Amino acid sequence: MKWWRYVVAMELRKLLAYRSDFWITFLGQTLIQLLVARALWQMIFATQSVSVMQGFTLEMMTLYYLIVPIGMKILTGENIGFLAREIYDGTFTRYLLYPLSVFQYKTITYLTYSFFYTTQLLILYSIFRIFISEAPYTMTDMGNLLAGMALFMMAAMAYGMMALMIEMVSLWADNIWSLMVMLRFFTSFFGGGFVPLTFLPQWAQDALVWTPFPYLVSLPARTIMGLTTFEEVARGSVIIGVWILVFMEIVKLIWKRGQYKYTGVGI
Amino acid sequence: MIEVKNLQKNFTSHVKEPGLKGSLASLFSRKMVTKQALKPVNLTINQGEIIGLIGSNGAGKTTLIKMLAGIVHPTAGEATVLGYVPWERANDYRKQMALIMGQKNQVWWDLPALDSFILLKEIYQIPLAQYKYNIEFLAETLMIKDQLKTQVRKLSLGERMKVELMAALLHNPKVIFLDEPTIGLDISAQKAVRGFLRQYQKEFRPMTILTSHYMEDIKELCPRIVIIKEGEFVYDGPLAEVQRMMGDEKVLSVTTREKTFKVSVPRHELSKKTHEIFEENYVLDLNIHDPSIEDVIESIMRSGVSPT
Repeated sequence: MKWWRYVVAMELRKLLAYRSDFWITFLGQTLIQLLVARALWQMIFATQSVSVMQGFTLEMMTLYYLIVPIGMKILTGENIGFLAREIYDGTFTRYLLYPLSVFQYKTITYLTYSFFYTTQLLILYSIFRIFISEAPYTMTDMGNLLAGMALFMMAAMAYGMMALMIEMVSLWADNIWSLMVMLRFFTSFFGGGFVPLTFLPQWAQDALVWTPFPYLVSLPARTIMGLTTFEEVARGSVIIGVWILVFMEIVKLIWKRGQYKYTGVGI
Repeated sequence: MIEVKNLQKNFTSHVKEPGLKGSLASLFSRKMVTKQALKPVNLTINQGEIIGLIGSNGAGKTTLIKMLAGIVHPTAGEATVLGYVPWERANDYRKQMALIMGQKNQVWWDLPALDSFILLKEIYQIPLAQYKYNIEFLAETLMIKDQLKTQVRKLSLGERMKVELMAALLHNPKVIFLDEPTIGLDISAQKAVRGFLRQYQKEFRPMTILTSHYMEDIKELCPRIVIIKEGEFVYDGPLAEVQRMMGDEKVLSVTTREKTFKVSVPRHELSKKTHEIFEENYVLDLNIHDPSIEDVIESIMRSGVSPT
């Protein structure tokens, strides 16, 4: 068996190591966020006395806020920020000793969590559609779900590379926490994590088209909900794919220079 | 073989004046200082050899090890280990090397050690038979068999160090860097680790560089030592020869009513000095003996006496 399969297995074992934390992460967080969002939007719909806002009914909005928090977890995983911390405290040394690429290793651990949360999305979305939603759960819906899950995995790869770029700045700047917070904020705001992107002015939506942000959360979430066309998905996949390649090259460049800065502090 | 030629490392860091004023000033302007952690040094180590690297804190021991393990790049100079330039980090080199740090964990904290070992088996591509033999041999020798299925974070410090040793040696490295492997361990754990390292060295004959502040580690394991002071090698030679360097000296260990102290005295002044001590103090006990290795090394580290 290849080493990366063991890395995946080990990361999953780490995820399952603490039972209460697992269930809180798996169910608790998502349900609380969903209930809060549902209550808020219920109030907004009632105040505005409308049944549709920017193409979203209340049920669609509820579904959106079931998908989006899990989508954000697919992107940010559990390992985002770890590399910067490891560089900061010197534990990064471990990866320099192993006869493998540190970035392959890190990407695999990161995508393992993304895959885990994608599975969570599959389960919770299916439960919602089968037991709560009034609309029937059809084969088309399942196809949309699978396409959306694939898009989320691509988005996770892009976000992971963006995070890696920023995390490696800690080779120069030691503490880059504020940059990570900014990345998360931009992703949520321009990616559709706070509100669906249709709520932004048209000029802002147009300006974002060639950036990676709309394809990180909004496109996969809307694909799962059946709100996208094939052309939109295909174009989004190409754009995000190109960004992944660009980010990968930048990561390589930063590492090429930054590795001279690593001092392995604390040992 | 390890060959080091004029290897040198400088570190640059910023200095900040203490207090809030200093913190505010550092937001706008920073004073950078460069410290020469390792001055140009030369070293050769042959296969099967184990050397002790001795020096006070900040002397440059760990910096040298970090460079030879490929973790940091040197400022200048050359080094090859088993024919590889360490900081190029060739996978073939890393498969034959191990770094064990007494103060850092390399195995995964939240998992039992055996889970980490299975992953390491794949990373280092250890054949199954060799893996099984090594697990058996290492666990047996380190007497840690019963703890391998317990989460690493729940192990005692000594048990964790044993697990670290197992993880680092699973792939039978040809070169081992041991950075203070017995730090923080109680006496029996120290003895166990030393006994294990001696046995491992005998069975597998790796090249080993050991740093330790415990002289017992050095005395038991290292026939050759390198003493490093402020980034420079001040002695490189057999441990046994160190005592000879102060062959003309005798040590007086004195206990008076007020205090206990040691004095190094040239042999020809022994009688005069002893007389003076008796005259100036109410002596309860006095011993005359040759300087111990610890005394000599301490003296070299303090005064930088070069080998004769």
